[in-house]
Amino acid sequence: MKTIAVFFGGRSAEHDVSIVTALASIIKPLELSREYQVEPVYIAKDGSWYWDQRLKDIALFRTGDIEDFIRKAPKAHILFDNGLTLVKSSQFAGRKAYKHIDVAFTAMHGTHGEDGELMGIFEMANVPYVGCGVSASAIAMDKVLSKQVAESAGIASTPWTWFTSNELSQNHSAVVKRINTMKYPLFVKPARLGSSIGITKVDSPDNLVNALEVAAHYDDKVIVEEAVPNLIEVTLPIIGNEDPEPAYLEQPLLDANDFFDFETKYMGQGKKMGGKKMSGGAKQGAQGYSKIPAEVSQKVYDEAVQMGLAVYKALGCEGIARIDMLINSKTNAVLFNEVNPLPGSLYAHNWRAKGYSAVDLVTRLIELAIARHAKVAKKQTAFATNFLKQF
Amino acid sequence: MIRGFLSLYSFNYPRIVIYMLQSTEYMVKPYLQWYWRTANFTQVARRRSLDMTRRAKLLLLVMRLGVALQIALAIVLLVHAYDARNWQLFNIGVVLLLSFPVIWAHLITVPLILARHLIAVPLERKLVKQSAALFSKHEGIKIAVLGSYGKTTVKELLLTVLGAGKDVAATPANKNVAASHARWVRTLTGKEEVLIIEYGEGAPGDIKRFADTTKPDLAVITGIAPAHLDQYKTLEAAAQDIFSIVDVVGSENTYVNRESEPLLSYVNKNQDGYDTSEAMGWKISKISVSVDKTSFVMKKGKKTLNLHSGLVGRHLVGPLAFCAAIASELGMSNKQIEKGVAETKPFEHRMQPRLLAGGWVIDDTYNGNLEGVRAGLSLLNELKAKRKIYVTPGLVDQGEQTEAIHHEVGELIADAKPDKVVLMKNSVTAFIQAGLAAKEYSGEVVIEDDPLRFYTHLDQVIAVGDVVLMQNDWTDNYN
Repeated sequence: MKTIAVFFGGRSAEHDVSIVTALASIIKPLELSREYQVEPVYIAKDGSWYWDQRLKDIALFRTGDIEDFIRKAPKAHILFDNGLTLVKSSQFAGRKAYKHIDVAFTAMHGTHGEDGELMGIFEMANVPYVGCGVSASAIAMDKVLSKQVAESAGIASTPWTWFTSNELSQNHSAVVKRINTMKYPLFVKPARLGSSIGITKVDSPDNLVNALEVAAHYDDKVIVEEAVPNLIEVTLPIIGNEDPEPAYLEQPLLDANDFFDFETKYMGQGKKMGGKKMSGGAKQGAQGYSKIPAEVSQKVYDEAVQMGLAVYKALGCEGIARIDMLINSKTNAVLFNEVNPLPGSLYAHNWRAKGYSAVDLVTRLIELAIARHAKVAKKQTAFATNFLKQF
Repeated sequence: MIRGFLSLYSFNYPRIVIYMLQSTEYMVKPYLQWYWRTANFTQVARRRSLDMTRRAKLLLLVMRLGVALQIALAIVLLVHAYDARNWQLFNIGVVLLLSFPVIWAHLITVPLILARHLIAVPLERKLVKQSAALFSKHEGIKIAVLGSYGKTTVKELLLTVLGAGKDVAATPANKNVAASHARWVRTLTGKEEVLIIEYGEGAPGDIKRFADTTKPDLAVITGIAPAHLDQYKTLEAAAQDIFSIVDVVGSENTYVNRESEPLLSYVNKNQDGYDTSEAMGWKISKISVSVDKTSFVMKKGKKTLNLHSGLVGRHLVGPLAFCAAIASELGMSNKQIEKGVAETKPFEHRMQPRLLAGGWVIDDTYNGNLEGVRAGLSLLNELKAKRKIYVTPGLVDQGEQTEAIHHEVGELIADAKPDKVVLMKNSVTAFIQAGLAAKEYSGEVVIEDDPLRFYTHLDQVIAVGDVVLMQNDWTDNYN
């Protein structure tokens, strides 16, 4: 039986979302598969690591007992031993508990986890891990980098620009001037935060400065994009390594003038619908109401799927990711928006519609992680030289 | 082993004992059988917890008081023996102190035995005697429904179909023994046109006793299969008891399910009844079965019935057709019959389809016999699905034939070729696995040792396009 360590929590604004993803969408189905021993590794908001079977219990987090747990529990650390071993003090006679892990499964959203940092540790440890690699994660989490990579691959997106918070403070007027050459309304976003945190829709130059400050408060890098008129937002979950497999193109049901902010995604469960009655193929997925598959023409649907796959490949995504796209419903133009290298709750609702149960999905992701690791292991990375002898 | 021993002294022990009594419907023999095969009493209540009825509360109080009394007595004895340096008495005190769980697990059955023999049995006897007169006096047509399986289904179908044009009453739920017949007849108005009475045989002679009391005009035998073999010992004995109904209503008023193979050896070839091609002279055609409905056409002379039912499975065509044919015999119009059949819906936990996580789950967990297994697997085989999953713990009460029957269950599963088989781990699992192996089943087999966990997380295992058939369920006392 393989040992799977599931990493969740983290120093991120999406800490709590990560807990739900880990406990509900990863640990539960992994255990139900009966094929894996699951070791939960919780990264607290201060960055401390804890490894304990009790961390599988959502009640620990829901009741706030986690604070008490953190006060009493020994912190975990990791040992690189041509692989990765979890270590913690047993609190008795100086003994330590060890657990060698076979596969790492990250359930981290946002900074210090989804952005490639954690994947770097797994690469160093030479342990298979689920999801995108270091570079793909880092690029995907950086909206500026991902647009630049997509553009270089000939993938269209809405007009955009970017600046650093340093530029904003030192050269404020130049930044504003550059932005004002764009067509309003605009979206101002922190470039490297997920879950739509710090995003503002700006309808006129009057509100621009405030929006820029909000975004710069969250991130040193800020991206500004033109809004797409007659908007249909769609998203495409994809799994796979060399041969990525798309799920259904999904259409979050939002008012055309609105966007998918943190509250809509995780708190309000569709609050922006203003009490509208859902009909047709509307389903309440992990992130509110959506239509699966998206209600667009077959031509646009196919184009969006092809674009999603092209972005996945251009960024070098592996394992799992979700590609967000924007459609102008009048012109039928499909535009790349952003990549989410670890979709909340793995977008299991969409995969279920596609025929993957929650158990099938996590099992498949582990297979992909092992396959990628096996492939990389075949590559030679060390060479025998006489360099030191010449010293 | 140590944990098992310590579980006798857990604070919850009295509660667990009462739970075991409640789960075995306060029947002393199965309770004691369960008690003596239990290795760890903390592992007993896995499916549900004690339902605090008045009876349960009273028994729990008696047990707790008894335990407290015995412990107090033991302590007094120990102190006294120690003071007197009487080690023989001290040892008796120790035995008294340690034995309270076992002693009270048995003593608690005494009030039940006394209540049953001194109050319940005489009362029931009197009630049954009185009911015979009430049944005799009632002018409605009385239909007895009996058999090793399928009787509750046929009774409910008759009630629904005949109810579309007649004033009909039927024995409630699975209240199918003499005492419940007796209580039920007292609730009738006397104006009902049809009475449907289910006979739940459990031991030799039961059917004759029921028939002598309820005096049926017609009888339908829904099937013969190995059931209650702990009492009947052989299928032959069970069949003999069931067919004793013919002595009461006559062969011409007895209808049989001709699809029950073991039944056919007890009737002649021309015995009236039903199957998927014919029912009481009506020809059946154009059968179509999907995951949520069954449709077919019946023809007799110039009469045609187009029937659509919410029930699922080809095996239900015969019983539905029989109900329609009886309805026609009783003078109901085609329209009334079609309406009656259209109103038939799956009963709870009997081939009941429901959507879960985008997949279809067919809940047949109240099924408990080989014929039901056969019917369910035949349905699974017939349905179109991206992936088929079959879930079962096996069958209970199969007596000496347990191994052979479960070997056959395994073979039947293999023949139906589901993609995945989930077996709830218990004493018959190995027999089913042997049956699967004998037919070289090549799909995935999962042995699940925590059924409750599996059932509650079923949504994690299935996806759109899946069909899951769940047959039978073992309550805690069978584990």
